[in-house]
Amino acid sequence: MFKKLIAESTGKSPWLFHINAGSCNGCDIELVSVLTPRYDAERLGFKLTGSPRHADIVVVTGPVTEQSLNRVLRSIEQVPDPKCIVTMGSCPQSGNVFRGSYSVAGPLSKYVHVDVDVAGCTPKPEAVIDGLYLATQILAQKRKEMKK
Amino acid sequence: MILDALKYLAYVLIFPGFLFCFLTGLLLAGIDRKLVARMQKRVGPPILQPFYDFFKLCGKKTIVPAAANKTVFLMAPLLGLASLVVLQLFIPVFRFQIAAFSNVADMIVILYLLLIPAVSIIMGGASTGSPYAGIGLSREMVTVLACELPLVLVLLSVGRYVGTAIGAKDGISFSLSQIVGYQLEGGSLITKASLIPAAIAFLLVIPGETGNHPFDAAEAETEICEGMLAEYSGAPLGVFKLSHAIKMLTMTSLFVMLFFGGVGAGVDNLVALIGLTGGAATAVTIILDILLMFLLCVVVTAVGISLVHAVTARLKIEQIFKYYWTVVSALALLSLVLVWYGL
Repeated sequence: MFKKLIAESTGKSPWLFHINAGSCNGCDIELVSVLTPRYDAERLGFKLTGSPRHADIVVVTGPVTEQSLNRVLRSIEQVPDPKCIVTMGSCPQSGNVFRGSYSVAGPLSKYVHVDVDVAGCTPKPEAVIDGLYLATQILAQKRKEMKK
Repeated sequence: MILDALKYLAYVLIFPGFLFCFLTGLLLAGIDRKLVARMQKRVGPPILQPFYDFFKLCGKKTIVPAAANKTVFLMAPLLGLASLVVLQLFIPVFRFQIAAFSNVADMIVILYLLLIPAVSIIMGGASTGSPYAGIGLSREMVTVLACELPLVLVLLSVGRYVGTAIGAKDGISFSLSQIVGYQLEGGSLITKASLIPAAIAFLLVIPGETGNHPFDAAEAETEICEGMLAEYSGAPLGVFKLSHAIKMLTMTSLFVMLFFGGVGAGVDNLVALIGLTGGAATAVTIILDILLMFLLCVVVTAVGISLVHAVTARLKIEQIFKYYWTVVSALALLSLVLVWYGL
């Protein structure tokens, strides 16, 4: 019964950890707007946490600069399994307008496995919620595979 | 003998011990989150959200930091939870009280037991060696210190009031069962004019004791990553979250028993009206008493925790200390002076 409860709950309580990897702050503001009364992602159980150790879903914004690369990877490693990595905006996905710059080390998928990409510059809050919801389902799936 | 042992095991594990605390505590936390959301014009999470959070955390991997003392790190959450469950055994549910505990226990025991969860979270945080935990635990100590003075003054004035009314030996009674017993006869203490400032002071102590907004400088998640919990993950974190929820139940049920204790007398009339007698009447009375207590706890949570959370922003630690030792202590002291002069 206990295992069933855990399996049932894993997708319903996703806690977010937000990493800014050199973002222009556009996506960061848009992520916070997802938690405001208008869109209220908390109705799906989303909550912003301050520490990567509490998180289930890591949201990365920004093109992953050389300066931030090591910190991003270390923060992601500190998230306990099962975890999901979501990139928000076009920057961590492709580099966007910063592609080819000497200071950009991205895209993020070169270094870690990315579960969901939410594209856009910046993505609409609806798209962000959709992407995060997809991530919760992947999270529940990962929990199932972890048990085996 | 064996029957007695089984009975006490049932008290500790089922009601009013662990299982009861687990279910009602998390439910209360869920209701609190929903209420805050509705007050902010949001839809809010489902009421069962704290249950989902707890079980999800149980299914996560637990990372023990390399610098941490493993034993203290893993035992601290359990210590805090155990002391809260024990504390709940001492709080009577109107007429339902465990004789072995209620006859020896009084408010002094409750004061001591209330400290242990704070001490356990400080121990757990300190064992990680994280700088966030360091800041958090120094703030937690100050918050505990700030809450203690008004809490003691409130308990003193309630004890003195009941003590003089029932003619206790030194004119002061610290026994919770006597306080509830007096209220069943003489009406709730909230209706006594001289104790209303004390009730308000206790209501203001509740968010400080539980570490809720605006007195959560010790666990400021946007500022110091939840302070002492920064390094916790998985099941130990879940147990800390559970302790927090149970502490809300403990503080609100203590408030209900101290100030609304007389409300339970109405249940008798209801049971008599249905025409139940004997064992069935006792069982129905206990169940109705529990429901009534939980309902009153929800009301106290709504006023004392949710409303305060929704309308205020976080205070700085020195503001918290100043607030408790001036405004709240003054209210409690006013009550104490009034009661001491027999008003």
